[in-house]
Amino acid sequence: MPPGLDNLKHIVVLMMENRSFDHMLGSLKAVDARIDGLTGNESNPDTTGAQIKVAPQAQYQSQLDPDPDHHFPAVDLQIFGGDTSPTRVANMQGFVKSYFNQQHDAKHAGKIMYYFPKEKLPVLTTLATEFAVFNGWFSSIPGPTICNRAFAHYGTSFGQVSMDLFYVKEPYKSVYERLIAASPAHTAKIYYYDQASSTMEVVNLLQHQPQLFATYDQFIADCKKGTLPDYCFVEPNYNDHDGDTGELIASDQHPDHNVQAGELFIASVYNAIKQNPTLWKNTALLIVYDEHGGIYDHVPPPACTPDGFAASGSDTGTGAEFKFDRLGVRVPAILVSPWVPKGTVVSGRVFEHASIPATATEHFIGDYDQRSPREKAADTFLDLLSLSTMRTDAPDFDV
Amino acid sequence: MTLIHVPRPPKSAFYKDRPVSSLLKNQIRHLQEAEFNLIKTEGEAAEYIRRVTAQLHPAGAKPQIVRRRKARPGRVKEIAAAAGRKTRATRGRKTKSKPKGRGKKAASKRKRSGKKRAS
Repeated sequence: MPPGLDNLKHIVVLMMENRSFDHMLGSLKAVDARIDGLTGNESNPDTTGAQIKVAPQAQYQSQLDPDPDHHFPAVDLQIFGGDTSPTRVANMQGFVKSYFNQQHDAKHAGKIMYYFPKEKLPVLTTLATEFAVFNGWFSSIPGPTICNRAFAHYGTSFGQVSMDLFYVKEPYKSVYERLIAASPAHTAKIYYYDQASSTMEVVNLLQHQPQLFATYDQFIADCKKGTLPDYCFVEPNYNDHDGDTGELIASDQHPDHNVQAGELFIASVYNAIKQNPTLWKNTALLIVYDEHGGIYDHVPPPACTPDGFAASGSDTGTGAEFKFDRLGVRVPAILVSPWVPKGTVVSGRVFEHASIPATATEHFIGDYDQRSPREKAADTFLDLLSLSTMRTDAPDFDV
Repeated sequence: MTLIHVPRPPKSAFYKDRPVSSLLKNQIRHLQEAEFNLIKTEGEAAEYIRRVTAQLHPAGAKPQIVRRRKARPGRVKEIAAAAGRKTRATRGRKTKSKPKGRGKKAASKRKRSGKKRAS
């Protein structure tokens, strides 16, 4: 076993909101051709057939308002360009059309093609080029937040493709329950930002297993004291609100929240781990986005192992049944650890959010059968901790 | 080791009056489901009903303010007189008579005659 894996005691997952790979990291192709970003020639037709090209003009805020549609029917249009035939092929040509549908404003609809120049996202682009960036990490469902986050917690959404309530079905358990019930037992937590922001995993976990939760202040304290659980999931601040220390700005990067605030939050999570040398040595941090938020990406999502569930035509909103046999749009994903070689680009492999419980379960428990077909088929990522000696050149952020 | 500068968002980025997003609406819906399951007793139900009704109808949630003024002597008489006066609503309505045999007079009469009150 490589020494990085030997040393690995903690896996931390930070899941942000609603940005596509190309939107956040597409500019990195110009820095490193191995990164599957943008050439600058990618385009989408508008409703008149005119081609709207990608452009490095993304802004931190006030640009993607209204929130681009990312519910199942809209994402279906974005991926297939409006083709509903049985022989259709994913072509990523429906993003401008989809955004146009919301306001019928052709000029505004073109903004869905904008991406950030790398200088505007110093935290995310630095981590992507310093550690491991995934060329093929896809959201689990071509749909919205709740069902995609479910895959990160359970390895399945139990047939859900929307924001509706869903209920856990036997025999599948959350990764937290698995770890705690394992022999020897492990520790696991979900850190939400604060009570005014709370968690997106309310009905099944917060309601019935509140002991799994703690706030972000506790995460910072646990990092300092070296009492971080074996596995933990960190949620950003989902809304602007007043706190004890003043105005607390949303840090989830969900449009139309400020992207810089999210950069600061990512940096604060990274710093909290890095500033404890023992923890830094023993921890892998995955930064990933739940779904693309309706924003352009050029890579067609691949087919995948069906999940054993089916969403009816009325549930999908397209009239067609969905068997969880295709992934959603590609999202940014970065693995941070001093045991990851600098400038790692993970290519030729497909990951999705079911890879998260799959990886944690494989590392901490080993063989574990009661998992969804999707999770069993999901690739795991700890092989990326391949260095024989720990790096000492990792950057710091002034947060 | 490189130190990367992270710019802060401008103060204007904070905007509590932004219309609530679909994500937050759905998070609230999930919390409402959980809240519904937290209500186990009639007292808890009443407290929930009071809180939501107060939000929907703030005027109804305010406690009634009773103002105590020093009454002017003349006005007291006026009010007392008005209290005995029949209004349009009560005019023509028969007043309910007291049950017989409960007053002091009846008691002394009973005493004098030696009769006991029927129970």
